[in-house]
Amino acid sequence: MSSEVVVETRNLSKDYRDFWGRQKVRALKALDLEIRRGEIFGLLGPNGSGKTTTIKLLLGLLFPTSGQALVFGRDATDVSKNERLGYLPEESYLYRFLNAEETLDFYGRLFDMPAAVRKQRTAELIDLVGLNWAKRRQLKEYSKGMARRIGLAQALINDPELIMLDEPTSGLDPIGTREMKDLILKLKSQGKTVLMCSHLLADVQDVCDRIAILHQGELKELGRVDTLLKVRDETEIRARGLSEAAQNEIRSVIERHHGTVLSLDNPTTTLEELFLAIVRDSEARPGRRAKQDS
Amino acid sequence: MVRETDPPLFSQWLWPSVLYFLEAAAILGLLTVVLSFLVAAFRYGPVAAGDVTYQAVRTSLRDLFSLSPRRISALAWLAVQESLRRRVLVGFAVFLLILLFAGWFLDANSNDPATLYLSFVLTATTWLVLLMALFLSALSLPADIKNHTIYTIVTKPVRLGEIVLGRILGFAVIGTLMLGIMGLFSYIFVARVLNHTHEVDVASLKNVPNDSSGSRAGRTTLAQNHRHQVTLDAKGNGSTDIAQGHYHNVTASTDGDKVTYDVGPPQDLLTARVPEFATALRFKDRSGKGGDRGISVGNEWKYRSYIEGATLAAAIFTFSDITPERYPNGLPIEMTIRVFRSYKGDVEKGILGSLVLKNPKTGRASQIETFRAKDFYIDHRDIPRTLTDPTGKTIDLFDDLVADGQLEIELQCLDDSQYFGVAKPDIYLRARDASFTMNFAKSYLAIWVQMLLVTGFGVMFSTFLSGAVAMMATLATIVMGFFKQFVVDVAQGAVQGGGPIESFVRIVKKQNVTTQMEPGLSTDVIQAGDRVFMWFMTHVTGLLPDFRQFDNVDYVAHGFDIPPDVVLVQVFTALGYIAAVFAIGYLFLRTREVAR
Repeated sequence: MSSEVVVETRNLSKDYRDFWGRQKVRALKALDLEIRRGEIFGLLGPNGSGKTTTIKLLLGLLFPTSGQALVFGRDATDVSKNERLGYLPEESYLYRFLNAEETLDFYGRLFDMPAAVRKQRTAELIDLVGLNWAKRRQLKEYSKGMARRIGLAQALINDPELIMLDEPTSGLDPIGTREMKDLILKLKSQGKTVLMCSHLLADVQDVCDRIAILHQGELKELGRVDTLLKVRDETEIRARGLSEAAQNEIRSVIERHHGTVLSLDNPTTTLEELFLAIVRDSEARPGRRAKQDS
Repeated sequence: MVRETDPPLFSQWLWPSVLYFLEAAAILGLLTVVLSFLVAAFRYGPVAAGDVTYQAVRTSLRDLFSLSPRRISALAWLAVQESLRRRVLVGFAVFLLILLFAGWFLDANSNDPATLYLSFVLTATTWLVLLMALFLSALSLPADIKNHTIYTIVTKPVRLGEIVLGRILGFAVIGTLMLGIMGLFSYIFVARVLNHTHEVDVASLKNVPNDSSGSRAGRTTLAQNHRHQVTLDAKGNGSTDIAQGHYHNVTASTDGDKVTYDVGPPQDLLTARVPEFATALRFKDRSGKGGDRGISVGNEWKYRSYIEGATLAAAIFTFSDITPERYPNGLPIEMTIRVFRSYKGDVEKGILGSLVLKNPKTGRASQIETFRAKDFYIDHRDIPRTLTDPTGKTIDLFDDLVADGQLEIELQCLDDSQYFGVAKPDIYLRARDASFTMNFAKSYLAIWVQMLLVTGFGVMFSTFLSGAVAMMATLATIVMGFFKQFVVDVAQGAVQGGGPIESFVRIVKKQNVTTQMEPGLSTDVIQAGDRVFMWFMTHVTGLLPDFRQFDNVDYVAHGFDIPPDVVLVQVFTALGYIAAVFAIGYLFLRTREVAR
């Protein structure tokens, strides 16, 4: 992972207002984030926490009320950043009257790709997402899982450096989910940066290097997944070759009885438990960062 | 065809129009920048506002110069696919149905079936295509925003201008295809419906009295609800009279003793006359004194002025470039004289008038030739090269009456207390006929221009309004465009009954438009409100296109070639509007959060 910052938000806030300009809801409050090249970054949060708003602000689909959203060092509303960006929306917002080949060819043309390159790239991506058998069927005939796959293919049509995935595994069966996660890891291995938001915590835990947890528009937690999941006030010992009697006197007895210590570490919790603890804490203490000792 | 205005000359129209366009663009551009600065100042403070505005202007200009033909064509292709998905071809099916059943409601006994059928197909095509353009253009972008499919477009390196332009082009492509097919079907329909022939009713043929050459006259059989009188020479060749706007040539063939007459297809039915108008028109009043205009018989015919019958009043047309090379067989003159009757008289008979050809230098004149003028009727007469002067002496048209290529034609009304209405295009020389097919295509070009305008406005409104509202706004633009002159007249107070508020009050009070409003505070308030309303109307309608300007139906239906200048003005006007709606659409889309 490089230290180059690909995505940055500075004090990024977003208020939704009504027709008369009165504030209806503050969707995002002073978010500061940095996502570095080559990492898989997860945005987590319950419904209405501001994660989709964050992605939309980074894509330039929404304008910030205050603060800045920068992608590749450029303002998020600068359309030229999209040359190096791929986006898979939450739902497959594609033109249902096109078939898979037409869809990818169309998005390729939007990247000003020559016909030969488009043709080659379309074939590669259809193969990658396993839709060769249905490439000439209109998307309206696709299942949700198939639509997600073609949605992913369109996000990769330009071989982007940064990929934003909104609920990438939503609607996929277990095999599809596994394939999606493998693909995300493969993209990382190719040096690409991935920003994803998901409700499926196990998926995030499996693939993300770092995560940010949002709640009610505020950043509650930010860090490496392995660090965040470490339970610091507990110790876990795994040992082999101990007698039953020795098991009663764990640490002192191991050495006295010449046992081999295999690991001595803090146990980790699951992301699901961490997430729920943060949400409970945030609701109990609104407006404050989550306890670090949780 | 009775014209109420002079058609524009492209060369005279272009530069003032370009200057007006640039002036309007500069004012609107400046207003946009100022407004953007004020909004930014309100949100970010005056210092940051300058930077925000500068960045916005810079980005807009950069976007304008980085439009990609490939992306625009991709978005246009998408619009075409979407149109097909929206069953746009249903419109074509409706058109076919209308053609199939046209015979049920079109008057088969019409005096001018060509005008009737051509007006019908052109009008039906216009409204169907405009409706189609309205639905497609106004609903497309809002549907994309509602379905969020726009997310996958704007997250690609697509400039917002490309979205606007791609849609306009895509729908224009679909409209062009539809128009092309409709035009082809219309042409075939009109040609087939109007094509007919007759047979000579041999039993009716009789020798022409007092004619020693052996000519015979008779009539044809009935076909398509009409028959013709036919005059044949000694060999049996000849032609019919003009009925329902056409005539037929007749040729005879002999097989032994048996003579058969072959009546050809209708002539002059589908034509495209190229008129050569007078270069100058001057008048004489009832006492013979010269002037620029005749007299007025009312408010409604401002374009025409009138000459009084049985007086010295006359209208004198000066024609230029009259040479034997151009008119070797004499002058083919056509007239459409307006008639104003101060008493009814015999309406079938027409009003008596006279024509005299004059040499503008020597004053030498031809023998007076009389005719009977009927309203909305094209009177054709061929002036031969050899004429007689008032003394009965033979004169040559070109040698005696034309000076430096110029010839005067003096028109007078001979019936007492009746009037002729005259404007420059009312007498012309039918120099030649252009291709009717090309003329028909030119009329479809005008429909295409209207379709392009509706598409442009629909897309523009859809960048900031929801589908239904964008459609209503576009519809309002079309309606205002078709009644622009009336709206302008209302806005400028030229219509009796006051402005919109005053006329509404008059309707409620059931008050006549000619009576004065009662003086007082309420009237002052109403009229002050009207002044504000009318100022607004004047400026808004000034920016809207005049859809009547794009109406070429009358030209084709009445058999006149559409002047190239008219076509050029229409196309350039439309391109100007498309440039404007493109810029406005881009700006509105730029200020819009598509994910809201």
